[in-house]
Amino acid sequence: MPDYSLGIDIGGTFTDIVVYDHGSGRQWSRKVLTTHGDPALGVIDGIAAILAAERLDAAGFRRVVHATTLFTNALIERKGAVTGLLTTKGFRDTLEIGRERKYELYDLAIANPPPLVPRDLRFEVAERIMADGAVEEALDEEGVLAAAAALAGRGVQALAILFLHSYRNPAHEEAARTLIARGFPDLFVTISSEVVREIREYERATTTVANAYVMPLATRYLERMAAEIAGLGLEAPLWLMLSNGGLTHVAEAQRRPVQMLESGPAAGALAAAFFGAADSGGDVLAFDMGGTTAKLSLIDKGEPLVAYGFEAARQKRFVEGSGLPIRISALDLIEIGAGGGSIARRDEIGLLKVGPESAGSEPGPAAYGRGGTAPTVTDANFLLGYLNPDFFAGGTMAIDLAAARDAIEGLARRLDLSPMATAWGIYDIVNENMVRAARVHVAERGRDPRHYQLVPTGGGGPVHGYYVAKKLGLTRLIVPPAAGVASAFGLLVAPIRVDRVATIGFRLDRHAPAALEAHFRALEEDARRTIADSGLVLDHIAVDRLVDGRYVGQGFELTVALPAGPYDRAPEDETRQRLAAAFEAGYRGKFARTPGRVPIEFTNIRTTLRAKVPGSARLGGAARHARGEALKGRRSAYFPELRRFVETPVYDRARLAPGEEYGGPALVEEDGSTLVLGPAGRLRVAASGNIIVEVE
Amino acid sequence: MTAGAPTTIDPVTLEIVWTRIGSMVDEAAKVIARTAFSTLSNEANDFACVLTDARGNSLAENTGSIPSFIATLPATVRHMIAGIGVERMRPGDVLVTNNPWQGTGHLNDVCLVRPIFREGRLVAFGASTSHVPDIGGKIRSIEPKELFEEGFHIPLMHLLRAGEPDESLLTLLRTNVRTPDQTVGDIFAQVGALDLLERRLGEMMADYGLASLEAIADALFARAEAAMRKAIAALPDGTWRYEMTTDGLDEPFTIKVAVTVAGSDIAIDYAGTSPQQPRAVNTVWAYTYAMSAYAVKCLLLPNLPNNAGMFRSLTVTAPEGSLVNPRFPASCGGRASVGHYLPVAIFAAMEEAVPDRVMAGAGSPLWILTQTGIRDNGMTYANVLFFNGGMGALREKDGESCLSWPSNISSTPVEVAERNSPLVFRHKRLRPGSGGAGRHRGGLGQEILMENRSETPIAVGFITERTRFPAPGLAGGGPGGLGRVEINGKPVDNRLQHTLVKGDSILMATPGGGGYGDPRARPHALAERDRALGYIEEAPVQSPR
Repeated sequence: MPDYSLGIDIGGTFTDIVVYDHGSGRQWSRKVLTTHGDPALGVIDGIAAILAAERLDAAGFRRVVHATTLFTNALIERKGAVTGLLTTKGFRDTLEIGRERKYELYDLAIANPPPLVPRDLRFEVAERIMADGAVEEALDEEGVLAAAAALAGRGVQALAILFLHSYRNPAHEEAARTLIARGFPDLFVTISSEVVREIREYERATTTVANAYVMPLATRYLERMAAEIAGLGLEAPLWLMLSNGGLTHVAEAQRRPVQMLESGPAAGALAAAFFGAADSGGDVLAFDMGGTTAKLSLIDKGEPLVAYGFEAARQKRFVEGSGLPIRISALDLIEIGAGGGSIARRDEIGLLKVGPESAGSEPGPAAYGRGGTAPTVTDANFLLGYLNPDFFAGGTMAIDLAAARDAIEGLARRLDLSPMATAWGIYDIVNENMVRAARVHVAERGRDPRHYQLVPTGGGGPVHGYYVAKKLGLTRLIVPPAAGVASAFGLLVAPIRVDRVATIGFRLDRHAPAALEAHFRALEEDARRTIADSGLVLDHIAVDRLVDGRYVGQGFELTVALPAGPYDRAPEDETRQRLAAAFEAGYRGKFARTPGRVPIEFTNIRTTLRAKVPGSARLGGAARHARGEALKGRRSAYFPELRRFVETPVYDRARLAPGEEYGGPALVEEDGSTLVLGPAGRLRVAASGNIIVEVE
Repeated sequence: MTAGAPTTIDPVTLEIVWTRIGSMVDEAAKVIARTAFSTLSNEANDFACVLTDARGNSLAENTGSIPSFIATLPATVRHMIAGIGVERMRPGDVLVTNNPWQGTGHLNDVCLVRPIFREGRLVAFGASTSHVPDIGGKIRSIEPKELFEEGFHIPLMHLLRAGEPDESLLTLLRTNVRTPDQTVGDIFAQVGALDLLERRLGEMMADYGLASLEAIADALFARAEAAMRKAIAALPDGTWRYEMTTDGLDEPFTIKVAVTVAGSDIAIDYAGTSPQQPRAVNTVWAYTYAMSAYAVKCLLLPNLPNNAGMFRSLTVTAPEGSLVNPRFPASCGGRASVGHYLPVAIFAAMEEAVPDRVMAGAGSPLWILTQTGIRDNGMTYANVLFFNGGMGALREKDGESCLSWPSNISSTPVEVAERNSPLVFRHKRLRPGSGGAGRHRGGLGQEILMENRSETPIAVGFITERTRFPAPGLAGGGPGGLGRVEINGKPVDNRLQHTLVKGDSILMATPGGGGYGDPRARPHALAERDRALGYIEEAPVQSPR
């Protein structure tokens, strides 16, 4: 009986479908256009096509894993359900007042993102829970039902409920949900304490409302996708990729769809971690560069770093603070407005600027010949000789080199530079922009970039990776095969994962460690129930305990890992010391020093449960190569170290065999991308199928 | 590339080097943001980091640095050059001051300057400032009559010599502040940032084979200066004036501004502004300059990162001894309660010259509530809460509601505030009708009602403005709603400290922004939306019941 895995990644433009055969190590992939009207259609057609073309037995599939940008797009395009909000009396405007900070200092015409729930759909009920969890005023049950009736009367399909201090005592939110479920069974209801059990009412509100807003869509869509896949004869369970790089089952994703917002990028980071681990100690910097954006994320010992919040649907793209804060765990990545389509221009003081404006895929770079006239990064890459006009996208796309040259020459005249200096300037500046973001991202996490190896993916990653690494002071790149679809393979290596958080306000110098143990146990029980829901029998579940802690008086919390429990066995002082040492070590790792003598408080506790899905560990290994001479030819390419164009050997990646080594300059072509190797670099094909590049 | 006239450096090299310098100061800023104890530093960006050339001209400041710090740090660097002397600076030194006139305008911002050497030559300065959690003196209020009451004053001096801290200074500082660990910790967070800045600059200069920064700096300054001059030259020549009355103390204050455009130069003068006061509301010249430069940049060149060249065409003058240029030892801890009005006055003056760009009056300065008391467990505590009003309208856009401007200070979440102090919030909601009427409406203020639950009395103090004189509208637009402070439902003198017993309530209603243009010309769709969503008073939305 065959043993196949299937990965489905629905992106804004393309849907990637990958199949992996665990028996032979073979893999197949398809890129199909995303069918926006009904995304399941494209997926089903794509799967059926692969099954037919490769004669794969549907019964041989053991697992199906799915990532999608659909819910993110619903937020960005404001195409979610008509949503209502029910709050504690006096606080319906929390969602609109927000944090009161500007995301841009000098723009007088600044506009905050409008709340997902307009003011006339935000209602209040009498109830009050205090900061310590005590009930001051009982829930007005009639008020809840009256509000639900009024909102239903206004066409609301989904309802978010946010009561103050519900992270401490969720009783009123739970009671309100029960009442509404009885009275209004058709309403989709999300309560804040179930989505994000964390202090700070605005961030909890935006997260809860976003969940409610996409919930009707997610419920219908996931139901249909599961049914369609079963309809093809695949009996394997459907798993969904979460923003934190873990998997969950359909019922959980329907309850908390907000967890799937960043599922696509998470798969990309997992893929980089996976391919990178084969040829390094696992400390890699994932660098995924596509048409519009580049994404960067740090991976330590094979584990992508996790952040406990991100922003969705930014009002002004790439500007921090202009989006909706979403307080859920997500892989810690940054997105930069730097891609093949990024437009180069002369700015108001005569300097060359690149991006974040993008020509996108329509009309796209001038070289695409679809009417684009603005000079882009891709146009510069053609002029520099890095990309092959006769073999773009594996030769499936005709390239208009003259249009690219015209676009760059026009800009060169405005800058009073030669066209080639302009082309190199575009390439160098887009690299500097990505490096600037990377440096700040790495510094924020208290790491040193030179410690990492770069794993470039996406169409642009290998084209820019060598010089990006050089600027960052990295000495090694690991270039996975099939960089263009590499991220979809991340789906097939992900574990099942449940993350939970609770705000407890635990003072290490005052409270008993046994109380901390009890809080963790309760949280872990809740997480175990979610895994148990899947019906899978999992032999080993790894449990991690973390805290968001701070020195009393600090305005922020740092998330650090704690030693394993239990905390109620050893003498209290010993346990306190062990916990303090763990926090101090994490703090020093990030900030180099601790303040000393200030008590430590654990504001939130977090637990992560992870279980490997059977069959996921065996992916990778066998590198395939076609027969024949790897050297396809030579073409003239520019390298700044040599200050000129040189005839540069071009290799066919499919024909490179493990063990082969070449010095730079060189170009290595595959279907979805081209690896650019500078004159001082060396490349070697590893047994894993990765290409290892040494920089200088 | 190490030598040569500014014009010989090509636009690609300049862009790369400038981006690289920008990334250095941002990286250094992250070190401060993440290691500081002060909430103001890590949540409100109340800190800044710059790199200057060896002459003290700013090359770049960190992204997100608030307007109060425009040009103040480079000026501090130049004060150090003049006051301490380059010949007394060595590698590994860090200089320090919190003198309001030479720093940022109040003692709470401790400024550090690091001379950066390469091969024995001074090539640059790294400088930073950060609002420390406590600097001694009176708890933040406008009561101090002289600087001496406001806390520990550090003149221009060495903090580190060749990497070694001045222990006498640290001992004195620790002795004079309420939070010695946090205050000293925050200063060393800045030292960490300057270390990193020095390292990164060294790497960059090595990568590009630069022996000095002057050629790069001059080329950048020349381009920024030319861009600003071009923007100014596009304005009509002339002088525009505006006079604004603000709440003041016993008597209102007058802020008078004259903006003169002549060719590619712009001059801002505050002659006629009220004299300096024996209260901590004085705005030292450095802060007056920063607020003026902020207004000019918003109007003319909002997208270009700041550098020393940008403001060469700007002159700011203010009579000595006035509220906006006080003499030592004026108290100045509450500088924002005057300084935040300045951009509003400049915009109002410039309405005729650039009607499509100016903003009507904002519901600022920032509102602050301080409280001190004894917790039920017997420990004393102090707590500060911030609240913001509405922004003013533009010709083509309504003002945003409840947004910090011109500063950028978040309000504390209600749940966090209730965790940290005995004030319980009964509501925190938009103030319908507080946005000034106009073709475009001013942003709304907010209303906050809090109840004291402490068993023992607590003391509360306010820094609140626009409770007597509203945010003005422009071009026929109406004023924003007045701010209001009440205790137990009765208006109180917001300049005095008040004592609250259990069950007492405080109401704070922040001011709305002014409107722009004739209210009768308001587009129908916008008026309808305001009615439907209850942003205006006529038809408030009824909750069911």
